[in-house]
Amino acid sequence: MDLLPNIAMGLSSALSSTNLFYCFVGVSLGTLLGVIPGIGVLAAMSMLFPLTFYLPPDAALIMLAGIWYGTTYGGSTASILLNVPGTPANAVTCLDGYPMARNGRAGTALLMTTVASFFGASVGILLLMLFTPAIAAYALRFADAEFFALMLLGLVAASTMSSGSVLKGLAMMIVGVMIGVVGADIGTGVHRFTFGQLGLVDGVSIVALAMGIFGVSEVIASVGKIKPGDIKADVRFRAMLPSRDELRRSWFPMMRGSGIGSFFGALPGAGPGIAAFVAYATEKQVSRTPQRFGKGAIEGVMAPEAANNAADQTAFIPTLSLGIPGSVTMALILGVLMIHGIQPGPNLITNQPALFWGLIMSFWVGNVMLLLLNIPFVGLWVRLLMIPYHLLFPAVLVFICIGTYTLSYSNFDIWMVAAFGLAGYLMRLAWLPAAPLLLGFVLGPLMEDHFRRALQLARGDVTVFFTRPVSGVIMSIVVLLLVWSFWSAMRKVVQKRRLNTTKTENE
Amino acid sequence: MDKGTTSERVTGAVLAVGGLIFAWYSAENYDLGTFRRMGPGMFPLGLGLGLAVLGLAIAVWAPEKGVVRPDFNPLIAAKIVGSIVVFGLTVAQFGLIAAVMATVIVSSLAERPFRPLSALLLGTFLCLLAWLIFRVALGLPIHMLRWPF
Repeated sequence: MDLLPNIAMGLSSALSSTNLFYCFVGVSLGTLLGVIPGIGVLAAMSMLFPLTFYLPPDAALIMLAGIWYGTTYGGSTASILLNVPGTPANAVTCLDGYPMARNGRAGTALLMTTVASFFGASVGILLLMLFTPAIAAYALRFADAEFFALMLLGLVAASTMSSGSVLKGLAMMIVGVMIGVVGADIGTGVHRFTFGQLGLVDGVSIVALAMGIFGVSEVIASVGKIKPGDIKADVRFRAMLPSRDELRRSWFPMMRGSGIGSFFGALPGAGPGIAAFVAYATEKQVSRTPQRFGKGAIEGVMAPEAANNAADQTAFIPTLSLGIPGSVTMALILGVLMIHGIQPGPNLITNQPALFWGLIMSFWVGNVMLLLLNIPFVGLWVRLLMIPYHLLFPAVLVFICIGTYTLSYSNFDIWMVAAFGLAGYLMRLAWLPAAPLLLGFVLGPLMEDHFRRALQLARGDVTVFFTRPVSGVIMSIVVLLLVWSFWSAMRKVVQKRRLNTTKTENE
Repeated sequence: MDKGTTSERVTGAVLAVGGLIFAWYSAENYDLGTFRRMGPGMFPLGLGLGLAVLGLAIAVWAPEKGVVRPDFNPLIAAKIVGSIVVFGLTVAQFGLIAAVMATVIVSSLAERPFRPLSALLLGTFLCLLAWLIFRVALGLPIHMLRWPF
């Protein structure tokens, strides 16, 4: 395998001054926004999404990806010091990170989570480098039926696995695909659901949708709820050094966490949050002293932090090799590609080798930068936690507005952001998850196109999705997942009702 | 039936009705075509029907107890969404500086107590930042301040 020349090519791209600069911007903004609770990675990425229009595609991708894995580094800081996860992926880190801080080991926890993050990310990047080209080469044989099946699997898996109610996840996925239908139809040119609005002919803007549904609704839900905490942390370097015992107990959890994280990161719908949770549960299982967990066990921060960072990196495997995003953040990455006219899919690596390898090598560069940003400068981030939210959220809103306005200098996109913001807030109230919606929105148009062409080739035979071997296997998994989700939703309720009726009969 | 369950049922019903309307609208206005040559209406018709089924399932199988409703803050929502609308209303006629100040002031009203001085200072700072990023660094053709009358 000619990995070495590719690495060299990627490095020369990643180390060019423009890309270094945007990588730095990405990871520092990522850390910054990760540290601050109330601004999640999605809000952060959609806020900076409009900027990527003005950058070359490689710099745009490098910056956006930097924000993505940077937030996971930064997010552990808030988990440890405030007991409030900076991002959902760092939620488990609170369990033992905050007790560590209460025990006066905040500095150690901050240092060691950064080490674990870097280790996990490195494992993830290595797997990404090895598997992505291989999977893409295999997928070159896929036709429209396979792509349709894969995208459907990605959507269904993401909607059923990530959120509370599987039915709601699936429903929101369909709503997302519906929003994706708006605009001129690729096959026939008919304007669908535009209601005579010129601003809708090109479809709903992904920026307006993402900013409204994630950015604005998050601000509405957080205003008045986030209070700056009082923080006592000794972040001098001497206080950060772990004891010999802590070091010894960190090593294996970090390795197991990286493995678990790499696996769950590549699965559609699982992602870093679930990876961190499974890693924590595993450590508690294998530990000889599980009673120490929740009271400041260093294993309890090392494993999840290694896992969520490994997952951040392996999430790129399906995205870059098949063009199928497993999460909303990856859907945004695909959005950047499509805006720059680059077709995602198995041809990406062969058609755009400099872009692909440049992006991957920038992950190394970015993670080294994060290591430097998070160890010597951790005091700076800690101080950031004390900025009150009433200064932060107007700033977020201003950047959302300016970013949207500069898309086309028309008010129409601003009205869209306002409308989607309100819709996103109402969805939160009804416990409707927003992530499957955006995923459906990005994949919907591609799926319709593949569906239409597969049927055309098969002369209208709908069974084609089941008779072709690869597509047949994938579709069977989809059907199983759907049957299982309906069945489990029904069973839960029926059991509860039976319990209630027997109770009332006994009374 | 507690309030949480009612809101679950309403959610499901809204989704189901929305799906049916979507399906009806696409069947009514767009050509369905055949499987061999799909028209623009077929895919949305399928989506609408799918959503209707899911919505129905959500409404029917709503858990009877223990649905916690997040607290609803219509005033905060109105002020935040309003601050975005205000931006849209002012930016083209009065320029970016006016729009940024308006957005900061309206959105700051959402958190109590309202701090006028800190909102003004924040607005000034953000105007400066916006000018540096969007005008100086990126060179976008966007008016900073204008008076249309």
